[in-house]
Amino acid sequence: MENSFTVFDRRAVRLHRERAAHLGDGDFLLREVAEHLLDRLDDVRRRFPLALDLGCHTGQLARLLNGRGGIETLVQCDLAAAMVRGATGLRLAADEEALPFRDGAFDLVLSCLSLHWVNDLPGALIQARRALKPDGLFLAALFGTDTARELRASLMAAELEVEGGASPRVAPFADVRDAGDLLVRAGFALPVADSDTLTVSYADPLRLMADLRAMGETNAMRERRKTLTRRETLLRAAGLYRERYGGADGRVPATFEVVFLTAWAPAAGQQQPLRPGSAQHRLAAALGGNEIGSGVPADPGRR
Amino acid sequence: MVSPTIDPKLLEILVCPVTKQPLRYDAEAQELISDAAKLAYPIRDGIPIMLVDEARQLDAEPVPAKQ
Repeated sequence: MENSFTVFDRRAVRLHRERAAHLGDGDFLLREVAEHLLDRLDDVRRRFPLALDLGCHTGQLARLLNGRGGIETLVQCDLAAAMVRGATGLRLAADEEALPFRDGAFDLVLSCLSLHWVNDLPGALIQARRALKPDGLFLAALFGTDTARELRASLMAAELEVEGGASPRVAPFADVRDAGDLLVRAGFALPVADSDTLTVSYADPLRLMADLRAMGETNAMRERRKTLTRRETLLRAAGLYRERYGGADGRVPATFEVVFLTAWAPAAGQQQPLRPGSAQHRLAAALGGNEIGSGVPADPGRR
Repeated sequence: MVSPTIDPKLLEILVCPVTKQPLRYDAEAQELISDAAKLAYPIRDGIPIMLVDEARQLDAEPVPAKQ
């Protein structure tokens, strides 16, 4: 699907990931976030015999799994076949926007830092939900809006200054405030979205850019500049980054906001939110306070 | 060399990403065939490549892997 709303060039996403599979060593952030994601799995008292790792990179999540979540079989897929080659489970190359799994196949779908490169996030979520059995769990981490904000600002300022114009360089990311709605629209039940901010300290802004490349996180926006960026621009961006954000020790921080999504495939017998106005006890009574009327009549449909 | 085989557990859950219809496994050609979409998805080193970009049109002659 390509139209004027298509933000990402999926072929470029795939190429960047193919290349990153051979660069290695930039995956500390991925491992850190995967660990946070699996902490959330630990909180669920259920067993998930058949699970999918959607966008598995080179299998970092699987290596941290250690039999958690009662997972007996883990299917690992990634858009880039070169990434999947580093994985060790049941492997395949697949596109998050066109999943090749039958409906109701999995007990659990995990996804760690891959869904932020998807053009049609609601569509990808719908496909993930369909691949789940009823009452199956969806657990995902993706980059949020604040990610790489220092880099975004520095690159834009440098490009304006050196080249007299600017092009999009850091991808638009999911807003945690929209994520819950997205899950509901995709047909999930009991959705929860929350975000964590990780700050990584780098010796140098150029080191950060190299790490992003090693993670396959290079610019894949369709409207990106297709020509090489002048070295002068990159050096100026690094200089601005240091000036604006650098600490006394000369190191620079890089912000990564990670949005965690937790939701369930709907099933009969699942807990349901109660209808507004259906409470049996007064909150004021529970709190021992005085009740002040809101002036709004109680739900006429009540009782 | 023995050609790597595809795990039956994986075959059981795979469908065509375009039509969501079942696939036929051609062990000799190492392809997963979607009759509905007229596409053959290659299996390389035991890894199914379920990408439309990489699939062979069924009316066409077999072509060597891209790149």
